[in-house]
Amino acid sequence: MLKIKNLKASINEKLILKGLDLDIKVGEVHAIMGPNGSGKSTLANVLSGKNGYETEGEISFDGINLIDLKIEERAQKGMFLAFQYPLEIPGVNTNNFLKTSLNSVRKARGEKALDTLTFLKLIKEKAKELNIDEKFLSRQLNVGFSGGEKKKNEILQMKLLEPKLSILDETDSGLDIDALRVVADGVNSYKNKKNAFLIITHYQRLLDYIKPDYIHVLSAGKIIKTGNADLGKQLEKTGYANLS
Amino acid sequence: MKHSYDFSIEKIKNLSQEEKISRQKNLDLFYKSGFPTKQAEDWKFTDLNLILNKNFVSISNEVNPESNETLEIIKNFEHNYIFLINGKIVSKNFAHEDKSKISIKDFDQKETTNLDTDNSLTLLNNALSLGGFSLEITKNYKVKKPLVLYNYFSKELKNKILNNKNSIKLNEGSELVLIDYNNGNIQDNFIKNTIDTVSLNEKATLKNILIQNSKSNGYFYKNIKGSLEMNSNYENYILSSGLKLSKVEIEINLNKDNSSCSIHSALSLQDDQHQEIKTRINHNSPNCKSYQKIKNVLNDKSKGIYQGKIFVEKVAQKTDAYQLSKALILHDDAEFDAKPELEIYADDVKCSHGSTSGSIDAEAVHYLMTRGIPKKEAVKLLINGFLNEILEKITNSELKIFLEKILERQINGH
Repeated sequence: MLKIKNLKASINEKLILKGLDLDIKVGEVHAIMGPNGSGKSTLANVLSGKNGYETEGEISFDGINLIDLKIEERAQKGMFLAFQYPLEIPGVNTNNFLKTSLNSVRKARGEKALDTLTFLKLIKEKAKELNIDEKFLSRQLNVGFSGGEKKKNEILQMKLLEPKLSILDETDSGLDIDALRVVADGVNSYKNKKNAFLIITHYQRLLDYIKPDYIHVLSAGKIIKTGNADLGKQLEKTGYANLS
Repeated sequence: MKHSYDFSIEKIKNLSQEEKISRQKNLDLFYKSGFPTKQAEDWKFTDLNLILNKNFVSISNEVNPESNETLEIIKNFEHNYIFLINGKIVSKNFAHEDKSKISIKDFDQKETTNLDTDNSLTLLNNALSLGGFSLEITKNYKVKKPLVLYNYFSKELKNKILNNKNSIKLNEGSELVLIDYNNGNIQDNFIKNTIDTVSLNEKATLKNILIQNSKSNGYFYKNIKGSLEMNSNYENYILSSGLKLSKVEIEINLNKDNSSCSIHSALSLQDDQHQEIKTRINHNSPNCKSYQKIKNVLNDKSKGIYQGKIFVEKVAQKTDAYQLSKALILHDDAEFDAKPELEIYADDVKCSHGSTSGSIDAEAVHYLMTRGIPKKEAVKLLINGFLNEILEKITNSELKIFLEKILERQINGH
């Protein structure tokens, strides 16, 4: 589903990713762990199409060259990035945003746009699954939301857009244990044989709830080690320092 | 351009000799100064004389409009209405109200001939004013449905100037939502010069919403003068995008304790549109409140201006005054000018003001795009959100939805 070959990425002429390889197949959950400054966020940014990065190498998503796709096309083709710091956007109503987003994606997929009533019914169901109070949906997007509420809102968007590949960037940061459980349950309930996940995280904590098939250790812009779920537990004991 | 004015008092019908003399005096005074230029402090950002010179070959006053416009009623919410063409009452409908409580008649032109002004547009209005209305609401009558003033314009207004005076009086304890609704896609360049006098007695409440419903080559100047008695409240909303030029000048006198006023505007300007809002809030009594929030989105070569002054008299202790202007500048050639002013003589007051302008938040655009929303739509969503905020305090939900639609249309350039 996602094939990355020898990816190099720099920002302001500083090389951050120095030849990264990754192969995620359908139905798999991959985790990328690594210390601060290893390039985890850069990888997420490059995949999302954020401006300002110079890239080299290949990224193929579902057989398409990802670099050629506009930011919104990546989402329309089934890639989703849950942000580490979801933005507060004053004035923009959450429901209105969610509806515009869903209908943009549906339109690109050749599906009919949902009318307001059908949409509201759908979003209420999805919100309930994630324990999100309906009143949040009529508020301005993320404005005044707690850290946990913002992250839940990201997972809500994921479940609404039904992506093939979900990239979770430090989704566990700023979550208390209850919120972490809700978020993990949300992810686990969506996980199936037709989609895939890339979980970017600093700590093992989230991986106790969402079990990865593979764990990669990113250090100084390269993947230096790959293993199964046990690698995360080992890292928690020994730290990143002893690996390189 | 002076030589190509063709202002005629003789052509105005049914004037007494006395009126003619008075109007001529005003016209003579107007001729001395002409249309305002940027040399006048109040007009430093809107050089009206220069703008009119560029866009008009000649200007004459409209005296004999021939019109058979048909009224298109707004279907989104129930309302009363007055249908005006070129500012003159054509018909009215108060089906939702107790008609004995509302008085509406043609403006009595003899009422005001104020020569004591340094505003030459007032002089010109005094000289040439036609039509207009006087509206009065009886004590304690709360008008049930909004009143829409359908402002239509006759054809063949090219190079004409319309001058109107209106008076709006709310007696003690009465309430009204008044929607000034400019209709019609006018291709010809024409000028409208309007003076509204608003008088609110004790505990009266007026919501005054100004809407431009379509693109228009109108050059509009509106001067609103309000005086407020104890516990009265004036709320003003300006949604005038679409006009080639608009200057709304509002002076509110908070004359008695606990009176309050608010001014909200949301403008999205395109092409070379030019809009100014100039306010002066006079806190003349203790415990009064004023609130102003001015929002502009500026595209292309458009220009937005806000000049806002809060004046607090020595006696006006416990004044609570707030003023904020925010602009989103979307093109390098667009411009926003703000001149906020506070003049305070009382010592126990709460006054704050601020002004910001900047471009659209690129991070926010990125975030929306990662959710599948194309850039153009993402920007529109953000602009919508930015401007919609001023409608927060509109409680009538049907009206609010209607205003949101108007705003959306204005953002799309009508």
